[in-house]
Amino acid sequence: MAFIDIVGIAKSFGGLSALLGVDLAVEEREFITLLGPSGCGKTTMLRTLAGFLTPDAGTIKVAGRLLSSPRGVLAPEQRRMGMVFQNYAVWPHMSVFENVAFGLRIGKIAHGEIAQRVGRVLAAVGLEGLQGRHPGQLSGGQQQRVALARSLVVEPTILLLDEPLSNLDAKLRERMRSELKTLQRRTGITFIHVTHDQAEAMALSDRIVVFNQGAVQQVGTPREVYERPANLFVADFMGLVNKLPGTVIAQAAGKARVRIGSQTIDAELSHGVIGALKAVTVAIRPEAIRLGAAAPDVSANVLRGRLVESAFLGNIIDHQVDVDGMLVRVQGDRRHGLATGSAVALTIPIGDCVAMRSESD
Amino acid sequence: MQAAVPAGASPDAPSTDAAQPAAFLSAQALVLGLAVAVLLVLVGYPLLWLLLGAFGLPQGFGLEHFERAFTRPQNFAALLNTLELALGAGVLSILFGVPLAWATARSDMPWRGLVHALVALSYITPPYLTALAYIILLGPDAGHFNRLLRALFGFQSGPLNIFSMPGVIFVIGIHVFAFTYFLTYSALKSVDAALEESAQMLGARPWQTTLRINLPLVAPAITGGALLAAIDSMALFGPQAIIGTPAQIVFLPTRIYATIGGYPPRWGEASALSLLLVALTVAGLALQRGYLERRSYITVGGRGVRTSTAALGAWRWPLLAFCLLLVCFSAAAPLGVLALTAVSHSWTEPLSLANLTLQHFYTALFQDQVSVRGILNSFKLATAAATLAVLIGAAVAYLDVRSNVRGRRLLDYLAILPLGLPGTVMAVGILLAFIRVPLPIYGTIAILLVAYVARFLPLATRSANATFRQIDPSLEEAGRATGASWWHAVRRILLPLARPGLLVAFLLVFIPAFGELSATILLYTGGTETIAIAIYRLNDLGQLEVVSALAIFTIAVVLALMGLISWLSGSNRALAETPPVRG
Repeated sequence: MAFIDIVGIAKSFGGLSALLGVDLAVEEREFITLLGPSGCGKTTMLRTLAGFLTPDAGTIKVAGRLLSSPRGVLAPEQRRMGMVFQNYAVWPHMSVFENVAFGLRIGKIAHGEIAQRVGRVLAAVGLEGLQGRHPGQLSGGQQQRVALARSLVVEPTILLLDEPLSNLDAKLRERMRSELKTLQRRTGITFIHVTHDQAEAMALSDRIVVFNQGAVQQVGTPREVYERPANLFVADFMGLVNKLPGTVIAQAAGKARVRIGSQTIDAELSHGVIGALKAVTVAIRPEAIRLGAAAPDVSANVLRGRLVESAFLGNIIDHQVDVDGMLVRVQGDRRHGLATGSAVALTIPIGDCVAMRSESD
Repeated sequence: MQAAVPAGASPDAPSTDAAQPAAFLSAQALVLGLAVAVLLVLVGYPLLWLLLGAFGLPQGFGLEHFERAFTRPQNFAALLNTLELALGAGVLSILFGVPLAWATARSDMPWRGLVHALVALSYITPPYLTALAYIILLGPDAGHFNRLLRALFGFQSGPLNIFSMPGVIFVIGIHVFAFTYFLTYSALKSVDAALEESAQMLGARPWQTTLRINLPLVAPAITGGALLAAIDSMALFGPQAIIGTPAQIVFLPTRIYATIGGYPPRWGEASALSLLLVALTVAGLALQRGYLERRSYITVGGRGVRTSTAALGAWRWPLLAFCLLLVCFSAAAPLGVLALTAVSHSWTEPLSLANLTLQHFYTALFQDQVSVRGILNSFKLATAAATLAVLIGAAVAYLDVRSNVRGRRLLDYLAILPLGLPGTVMAVGILLAFIRVPLPIYGTIAILLVAYVARFLPLATRSANATFRQIDPSLEEAGRATGASWWHAVRRILLPLARPGLLVAFLLVFIPAFGELSATILLYTGGTETIAIAIYRLNDLGQLEVVSALAIFTIAVVLALMGLISWLSGSNRALAETPPVRG
């Protein structure tokens, strides 16, 4: 049995379903990110896990102990989890020290030990010397660290993070991102992190849980969800993607031959596809496509088209190629000097073409 | 830092405690349930009895009380007088309030701050004290102002008599016009100059802009304010009794008072009359709400509204004269004459050094038994009522803001309901409810406490509600996530953060409870007199100098506490947002 075992959790608010039977197993010391657009249910899931919400159906167990079920929930304060809130929720009427010491005081820890532990955790998050400050005198990044320190000082087994980086400016966000990752490795605490930022999710997580409309779309490592999306939603949400509609002409052992316009390519079938498919969409990441025909290779497809436009974006060039009336985006290095209107060949490894059910199916 | 394994987290021993309701639920349920119960007993139960009593229960069941409420000539006269008063006060509030609001909000008239403050002062002066002041100013024979007019113009008698319908309307009008003033003022302040400039760019002249842009935008606020003024005027027992009763002009509140005060008391008829008054109030409030809802379109601009100011040139001076004259009538003159009377040996004697004395203050504060007892009782009652109202109001507000308990809206509504109920009506309900058993408080000071808590609970609830809304729930949740119980999180995080707001809520209840008259007059007995009763009775005895001393003392207490509120909320806005001390 997994460390955190979430089975069939459903929750609705006044007739609006926020979660529709979520299953999830999390191992100890994992860094898991719940990723999805706003309103997808990820925060509801986190707050149910924290004990603030009672599920309508399903159970949550941690280390084999039942914490939540429709019949009742163990109160948040008895779960020994930590939580970092989106707005930090640093108590404005207490100093930094008092904020961090709060949980220890409740745990009736001796005075001397409180001072020691608070000092240690403040050093760990880089807030030495700010103990006496009040939150009003701190920057957003510093408040964020207070919130982190406050939840870490009680040594939780699980730390819940609700969009902790979304209120920081871009530079600080990147720094805190790497600090979070380091912190998680060092402490061995299981992190459950909620975000709508797919880059953040990929940079931080051992595994990503993609949510949409209250249901888990896919669970996998950042590579898996990026390169082998389970469906169009995941493919779209994880980054820029070409979606080429096509028809299956042959299908075998997780692979399919798909007709796209007047041309044919081979593609991997996305996970979880059962039975014979007809109309499919082939998802191809723009950076997986190479401009120009390579030497004939059985592991790569070649599509032919006409270059419509190229845009210089600094680190890359963004090309738009017309393939049988469909626009295909290609993002490659800056060396190409092709004239618009010229005929081009697109080389795409078969492993980077993922065929999945079209949305209308 | 090492991750600790929770105690009892052995995988082999699945705990069953999740199956029981968590501990915090019961603590929460206990505290909040208690508040709900008290609320139901204090507000719901008396209102229920008011309804039952009007149908003749528990003796019988019938509609004869309603019939009598309309057919008995005195009752019908009271209804007509009340409507006339409401109409008069509403119209007066527009005539006084709108020009003043425009002058202070949108013109470059000098001394705008002073005018604004004096309007606030006329709003917070208990209207029965204004009525007393006007007896001294406009009494038919000895009134200062009448004597002045006679000396100036050679009238034989009079010429003005405060003891008349216009007198009542005037005295009440200079109190309630503040509603129209403040609503119009804030509406004018929220019309963005860009709206006017757009009209100007399209060729509209200033007067066209005023007529076609400004007026339609603020019209709902003006109408809404006038309706509030009219509604409030119907409930003001103090001036209706102090000026109306000697003139034998009866209004619904004074009629209800007479119906219960007569022998034998006619409870059913009083209930029916009370319901009639409630119906008028509710109809007015519903209309007012409809008007104010239309007001929302002018606040679209949100914060950072830039308003234009009219440059008046020489016209500033006549406008200032008009404004000063008005606030002189509404605030300066009544307060001034009360102060003057309080320090005069005899108020009818001309002002001179020989006529000055502090004897009346000594009498009022230390000598007169009823007065001294009244002051003590008022302090005790206001303190207790404010404490209880804040406790209940905070619990109701917490339920509304922080929980999703079913029925919390209904509860919130019940806690706000007394705001629309005249004090006289509340008193009748409380009398009917507690004259028979459940709590043996009839004839004790506790019944006054019940009345004050029930009447002013809305002020505490609204204030607590606004306070809690400003405190992000994640602050408490962070406490819970850090291991604090519900109560611990409330006590250590929510309450410290809410303290200034709750203190304001306390004062918002204390101030009107301190000077309450219209419910007290029906509920007090010998020994439980309050300051307002002392004033009322001393006035009946004709001791206007002692009454004035007591009035000045009351106003001083109220002003000091208002200052405290302003200071606590860090702005002068509180002054404008505070409800009036009702008579």
